[in-house]
Amino acid sequence: MTENRWGFPDLGLGIGLRTTHYPHILSEEPDIGFFEILTENYLDTGGRPLHILDRIAERYRIVMHGVSMSIGSTDPINFEYLAKVKELGERTGALWISDHICWTGVLGRNTHDLLPLPYTEESLRHSVERIKVVQDFLERPLVLENPSTYLEFADDDMTEWDFVGRLAEESDCGLLFDVNNVYVSAFNHGFDPVAYIDAIPGDRVCQYHLAGHTNKGTHIIDTHSDHVLDPVWELYGHTLRTVGLRATLLEWDADIPPFEIVHQEVLKADDWRREEVADVA
Amino acid sequence: MSREAGHERPGLDRLQRWMQEVVVHPGSIEEAIASPAAEEEIPADSLENVVRPSHSMTAAERVGVYHGMYLMRMEEALETDYPVIRYHIGDHQFSHLVRAYVERYPSTSYTLNRLGDHLPQFFIDEPEWPQAPFLHDLARLELAMTEVFDERETPVLGAEDLESVAPESWEHARLQPIAALRVLDFKYSVVPHLTSFHDDRPTPSPRRRASWVAVYRRDYSVLRLELSRAEHDLLRDLVGGAPLGDALAAAAAAQKSARQQQKIFQWFRTWISEGLFSEIEI
Repeated sequence: MTENRWGFPDLGLGIGLRTTHYPHILSEEPDIGFFEILTENYLDTGGRPLHILDRIAERYRIVMHGVSMSIGSTDPINFEYLAKVKELGERTGALWISDHICWTGVLGRNTHDLLPLPYTEESLRHSVERIKVVQDFLERPLVLENPSTYLEFADDDMTEWDFVGRLAEESDCGLLFDVNNVYVSAFNHGFDPVAYIDAIPGDRVCQYHLAGHTNKGTHIIDTHSDHVLDPVWELYGHTLRTVGLRATLLEWDADIPPFEIVHQEVLKADDWRREEVADVA
Repeated sequence: MSREAGHERPGLDRLQRWMQEVVVHPGSIEEAIASPAAEEEIPADSLENVVRPSHSMTAAERVGVYHGMYLMRMEEALETDYPVIRYHIGDHQFSHLVRAYVERYPSTSYTLNRLGDHLPQFFIDEPEWPQAPFLHDLARLELAMTEVFDERETPVLGAEDLESVAPESWEHARLQPIAALRVLDFKYSVVPHLTSFHDDRPTPSPRRRASWVAVYRRDYSVLRLELSRAEHDLLRDLVGGAPLGDALAAAAAAQKSARQQQKIFQWFRTWISEGLFSEIEI
């Protein structure tokens, strides 16, 4: 068990803020540790979404989670985008800003997918340099999430966990450790998810993600469309024992049920958190 | 490991260009991998030198997961912005439209909210597309609604602000519109398609008949006001920055009777009460 090296607080349990839940959140003010917002949904709007976000940010702690930083892309860094991210972070008082270890497009295009990076020395050097530039610009540590991936490159020089660990250490960034993504990628690529968890530098982990996925038989897709499955809860328990307590967020992005169901799902994490704390004590 | 001995490792930039070409290709995964743009980066017969097969999937199937999700994601984004067009032309034709549209206008933004910005233009680019002139108008209406939804909030001019203006200042005064206002003129009647969609009724056949609409936001809700041609022309002039005196004189001249001229003041009162203006410049 480790402490987080930046002293980011353990915010308890959080839920991804989604439009469909706005009325419930505003009227019922549920007891939630924090909300995670999808950064890009609030960058270019001055209307209702930003108005509601301002109200929610007055009441709850906010963290930001983006999908378009494209940190591993060979395209130039988009500083106009980063300036808007930084401004939104200041507006909401976001405790940290996260994105993904991936690339989303090149040649000025955006596929809006979290495309996989090859785990090579070249790719590692490239991403590390870009993370340093982004962190200088944002004037805060960047927190990056391990992706779920559906292919492996034949030229990979190292395992995913070696890549993620070295990326974090060499760029001095934080990690958002997505337990479901580890499970998904482990199934798709045939590696041991426990070996992955055991290798992660725990003092760099700032937050956990949990989510449901869809098993297609030949592969698993990270759909965020269902309850968290038991094997993922087991891995979450192992992560708590290995890394320690961190802010834990449930993502539910497709077929989104009423707020109470999402809330009940994330509250299951409390049982695991209590159990692990009791074991350590 | 299936990699051939002696194979040249592609650099990160080449690998990314190749993967993007494959992912965004509108055909099957096999066609995407064998497309000239993808082959320029990595020959199709070298695929397994680049992507490792898994215990259950070939290299092509694994890239195909990303390829298959691309158009689904584009379609999800466009149906959010253009629900009435989708409702009118049906799911099958809408999928066909998305495929053609994103080939011509792929996303170049960090946000999918801007993906549909060129759809009105697409129907001008593609005049042979079924119902293209009508869909151009309908796309303009739906685009205006999304723009208004996202516009920045600006102050609203109240009746008391107007009362404070000295009578001698009125002629040269100019009204500043709120940011969340679009004044639109159409060759086709498009509002019935919007109401059919909201009422879950079949949409009528497109009817070529000029129509005019103001789309605006009040209390964070997107609203619309159907206009006559004369109302549209006056509102357009005011929004365009014409001095009040000139705009009202032009509008009055276009009205035949004193009774019709009285309507101008009724229009004006409605626009103020609906909060279409932000400030008055003296």
